[in-house]
Amino acid sequence: MVSADRSSPVVCVNLWYDVGSRHEPAGQTGFAHLFEHLMFEGSVHVKKTEHMRLVQGNGGSLNATTNPDRTNYFETMPSEHLELALWLEADRMGGLVPALTQETLDNQREVVKNERRQRYENVPYGDAWLRLLELLYPPGHPYHHATIGSMEDLNAASLDTFKAFHQQYYAPNNCVLTVAGDAEAQTVFALAEKYFGALAPVAGIPPAPHGHLTGPATTPARETVTAAVPAPRIYLSHRTHPFGTRGYDAVTVLATILGNGRGSRLYQRLADGKRIAQPDYIGSYGVDLAHAAAPLIITATAKDGVDVAELEEGLAEVVGSLVTEPVTDDELSRAKALLTTAWWRSLSTVGGRADTLGRYATQFGDPATVAYRLPQWLAVTADDVTEAAAYALKPESRVTLTYLPEEKPEENA
Amino acid sequence: MTLVATRPGTGEARPYTFPEIRRVSVGGGTVIAAHLPGQLLASAILMLDAGAAHEADGREGTATVLAKSLEEGTKARDSAAYALALEGLGAELSPSVDWDSFRVGVSAPVPLLLDAVRLAAEAIRTPRLDATDVLRVRDDEVTALRMDWAQPGPRADATLRADLFGTGRYGRPLHGDPASVAAVTVDDVLAFHQAWLLRPGVLLVAGDLDTLDLAALGEAAFGGTAGEAHTGEGPLLWSVRDHRRVILVDRPGSVQSTLRLGHRSPERATPDYVPMTLAATVLGGAFTSRLNHLIREVKGYTYGIRGSYAMSRRFGRFEVAAGVQTAVTVPAIVDTLGEIDRTQLDGVTEDELAVARSWRAGQLSVEMQTPGAIVGALSTLVLHGLPDDYYPSLRKQYLEATVEQVSAAAAAQLHPKGLTLVVEGDAAAIRDELVAANIGDVLDAEI
Repeated sequence: MVSADRSSPVVCVNLWYDVGSRHEPAGQTGFAHLFEHLMFEGSVHVKKTEHMRLVQGNGGSLNATTNPDRTNYFETMPSEHLELALWLEADRMGGLVPALTQETLDNQREVVKNERRQRYENVPYGDAWLRLLELLYPPGHPYHHATIGSMEDLNAASLDTFKAFHQQYYAPNNCVLTVAGDAEAQTVFALAEKYFGALAPVAGIPPAPHGHLTGPATTPARETVTAAVPAPRIYLSHRTHPFGTRGYDAVTVLATILGNGRGSRLYQRLADGKRIAQPDYIGSYGVDLAHAAAPLIITATAKDGVDVAELEEGLAEVVGSLVTEPVTDDELSRAKALLTTAWWRSLSTVGGRADTLGRYATQFGDPATVAYRLPQWLAVTADDVTEAAAYALKPESRVTLTYLPEEKPEENA
Repeated sequence: MTLVATRPGTGEARPYTFPEIRRVSVGGGTVIAAHLPGQLLASAILMLDAGAAHEADGREGTATVLAKSLEEGTKARDSAAYALALEGLGAELSPSVDWDSFRVGVSAPVPLLLDAVRLAAEAIRTPRLDATDVLRVRDDEVTALRMDWAQPGPRADATLRADLFGTGRYGRPLHGDPASVAAVTVDDVLAFHQAWLLRPGVLLVAGDLDTLDLAALGEAAFGGTAGEAHTGEGPLLWSVRDHRRVILVDRPGSVQSTLRLGHRSPERATPDYVPMTLAATVLGGAFTSRLNHLIREVKGYTYGIRGSYAMSRRFGRFEVAAGVQTAVTVPAIVDTLGEIDRTQLDGVTEDELAVARSWRAGQLSVEMQTPGAIVGALSTLVLHGLPDDYYPSLRKQYLEATVEQVSAAAAAQLHPKGLTLVVEGDAAAIRDELVAANIGDVLDAEI
């Protein structure tokens, strides 16, 4: 896909591979993400360390991310280097395996373990997402385990597994290539043909394990963690609807009404209002996963001296109010105005535009469907929000994760 | 082989331009705007000479408490009505405080920017600042700082700052610490507002100027203001110690050690700005930098390591920052010192500099696509008194910098023998090895 925009002399090349941590079998958690790291370590015509050097050394920014649904790779370059970016991406799509070595795997395994320490283990509340997934999705469900994986599985990763992983999933028929920015469509199509055209498709790519769920959970789940955290914090979470559905559009508007900004119900009632929650650490948001009912996460951190039970009661009351107190016109238009700005902001870079188009083509089979998202948010009614809350936010389907500070020994004055 | 073996060449580059800059003087202030035709969103920043450097000793964090109090209601409406009015435009305020300035940013769809700037000005110029609200915001800020300080990093940052800048405002954290914020009074906040937030300042705008009315935006921002622009003081005197010092910040049970290695360096106006930036890019800026290559890609000690100069109006400092696995704390430090040493002694190579030059130059396009990025670039021009053609000229300077110039900057502005090395980690696990490594005297942080 090409989205031409000549306003800046830059171009983004973005690839969505339809493989994420939801494809990982038991014992191989974290493999899709560790594999993403290996994609930067050289391929048949690109020496180790050369990929980064060629992109940055020609003025570009680059990165990649892995989530439960998919893996994406992207670089934004001054537009005269478009062809270089396409060549690099084709080389690692079609020619990674011969360049993979045990030394590279061992090094990147350590890097990923450090990433796990830095992002999840060494920060207060850092493992909340890992715990929430296990509480939200049953064992065996593709979203049950986190993308970062377990240290144990990472340690067991073998080189052959990764070679097989690449041959299985890194195929042109499992990938969407999007170019946005300072380039003509016909030029890009010709270059794509030149560099990717001869890569053979892979037959019979296995789908991820089935993610079907019969609806929201029917019994509540609860976990309380005592850890080195500075204040009690609560996460409430529910499975809602898959991203891209009408139901999830209502959840997106609901999350904004409930917990985005100073005008949201949570802020107004618990940070202001009752003043039991810290104003910098209260909010709610959906995690936009498309292959099963996606989570809504609601979080608040207790103010000094506030009992965690009082905070939980306050949160439950505000969440419950979405069913019992109809959403007002002011609340609805506030949420829609914020979502409108956020939408245009997400598309204001060539990188954001390419990624969004890649998402819609990969997940819904048609990039043109991107044009419906904002209008569908704007079409959500107060009744839709109430209905979404009544369906998804029942107390009996709730996951409650609570962090409590460790008892400290008495300190001398 | 189905792949194309030959790396493609470079296409034709478009000439680099920065958006056209326009200026309007109105109501005692100046609007400086960049034209971005066709953009749906527009961004504005009201920038005031009200940085943290104006705060009184022991009351560090006053400006931050003020920034966070602005949305607690205005003379015209209470906080709930204010939030609804502003967020109803799809806009949110982003107030921020740095050493040299106090900024309030706002972005909105182009047709709504004027209303958003009016509301921003209402909060900045006529906040309610009820005593009970200010005290509550202050207490919340103390709690928020404690939350922040429970993360790895902030205590190490504060320790390094205190060691490099000593007593006085610049030796204390930018946003204060829990004790100094707790000491802030309502009068401190009111006095800071009175002294610094009622002067006109500068309004920066990035957006489609065919639609935006700059005079109206300026009237909204500067209405009811008075007073002169503040004339800033000159750079601080500075020197680098002739020996190294290791300061240990205990974080029991930490699975990583947070490293902050630094020394003082020249302020932003230094003529060495470009070669210093390029030297730091080779050492620790790019992904393929010497530090990231060795410590991450070869040794696997870290998820990432960065080295950079930070330069404000009155001071600068060099810093290397990383989180490394606890067990390899000392080897990681030794290797890091080795790379700093080597860069200072032997300079950079042409191959490395080629990457640094092109990357820094290219980033001036890649990182400047949005109204938010452009308005930020305008603020740099204003803060440091740089000309309108600064970015095209900076790009040229990057591309023309020679190995000799960059190596000379590395030789003059890196001081591996005078570094302060702050290590925040599990002291019980790393102290003995740190002492035995003989890097420098090992002290315990008083934090």
